[in-house]
Amino acid sequence: MSAAPGTPAVPAIRCEGLTKAFGTRKAVDDLTFELPQGAFLSVFGPNGAGKTTLLRLLATLARPSAGSVAVNGVDLKEEPDRARASIGLISHNAMLYPDLTAEENLLLYARLYGVPEPERRVVELLDAVGLKHRRLDRVRTFSRGMTQRVSIARALVNDPAVVLLDEPYSGLDPHAIDIFDDLIGRVRDGRTFVMVSHDLEKGFRLADHVLVMARGRAVSFGSKDALDPEEFRALYRSTVGSGVA
Amino acid sequence: MDTCRAPSALAQYRVLLMKDLRQEFRTKEMLVSMGIYALLVIVVFGVALSFARPGADFLEVSGGLLWALVVFTSLLGLNRSFSHETENGCLEGLLLAPLDRGVVFLAKATSNLVFLGIVEIIAVPLYWVFFSSFAAPAATAALIVVPLVLGSVGIAGIGTLLSTITAATRGKDVMLALLFVPIVFPLLYACVSATTAALVGGVLMEEAFATSLALAAGYDVIMLLASWVLYDFVVS
Repeated sequence: MSAAPGTPAVPAIRCEGLTKAFGTRKAVDDLTFELPQGAFLSVFGPNGAGKTTLLRLLATLARPSAGSVAVNGVDLKEEPDRARASIGLISHNAMLYPDLTAEENLLLYARLYGVPEPERRVVELLDAVGLKHRRLDRVRTFSRGMTQRVSIARALVNDPAVVLLDEPYSGLDPHAIDIFDDLIGRVRDGRTFVMVSHDLEKGFRLADHVLVMARGRAVSFGSKDALDPEEFRALYRSTVGSGVA
Repeated sequence: MDTCRAPSALAQYRVLLMKDLRQEFRTKEMLVSMGIYALLVIVVFGVALSFARPGADFLEVSGGLLWALVVFTSLLGLNRSFSHETENGCLEGLLLAPLDRGVVFLAKATSNLVFLGIVEIIAVPLYWVFFSSFAAPAATAALIVVPLVLGSVGIAGIGTLLSTITAATRGKDVMLALLFVPIVFPLLYACVSATTAALVGGVLMEEAFATSLALAAGYDVIMLLASWVLYDFVVS
């Protein structure tokens, strides 16, 4: 699986005053940060902190109420389709049609994205996630772990420069988690990752940047190297301990 | 990413339509449930009319009964058509792709029209065979195909938009019916009128058929355009 890095001079993600309101409640409130190309950002926070809403904004599945957000220099409000071509999303929802085969599912997405030689790309991806031998089986017959592996292949079908992960470990057994981590490690080179997770240890280990959110706002954002792990854990505990936003 | 070339809207439409058709012809969930439901409605109508005296009066209500059959059967199918998209978050997967939301609408509306058309091709002749003993239709009866086509296009179009709106709501089955029937009322009225005119023939055919079809066609154009434009807002 080839990596598709963005232009190094341009931040992979830039948020300025990003706000998303549902009625009077602000799920994301005046969020500003820049993430360099190739970084791995882990987003932490209590339930209702706005983590998933942030990811949905980055994925163009939600529109900002105020502020701006750009992926690889492409404003998501102005040119959503151009931005979508460089984004992949892996969530606890597999986004796969259960009654289509793994190959049919990936071909569907490959053709929607306009991937050249889609058949070759799909076989290559299924091989990479270790499911080439099951490519003609319906997704309905797959275990949760296998489905998640096909979901990873789906998210990478357009060779995205930015990969968004929304609670990707949700519902996976330890073996499937190991396979998932191995896959992420193999496709990480050159790509930018943003992961929302409740798993503090894993999220902190994978990350080189961390963002802690509470009540839609950034409590802490920065490079992991600049953080003392113990101080970070204390901050996280106090943030989560502050309860639902 | 850089190597991807955005396909044309027509190519994306074909991909989405083939996905829906492949999925349905594989599982036959919608077709079987709609088909069985249509047959049961015909049987219930038969029982309800079993004490009616054969005669010309039946022709004047048969158009309405046929459209009751079409509307109830299509409601069942429309409710199911979107369940595939909400399962596993598939709709979000489609919305992540660089494609116009109107293409998603057109593909889904077309597949709903195809499934409704298949059920009608089976159910309408059965309806007619079942009820032919009540009254002999006019020579213009074959023209009911025209209001059936126009009505089905409108039902598939507006039904696709409404089923998308109600897919994520609690009690979506009831919610869809509550929204669908009032909105589709003008189309239903026009199609019942045109169908009845074709079945009865004579003066009614001359007076009402063309006018009713014009109303149905106008409704189709306006509602399809409105649904296409609104779809982006609805799915976002």
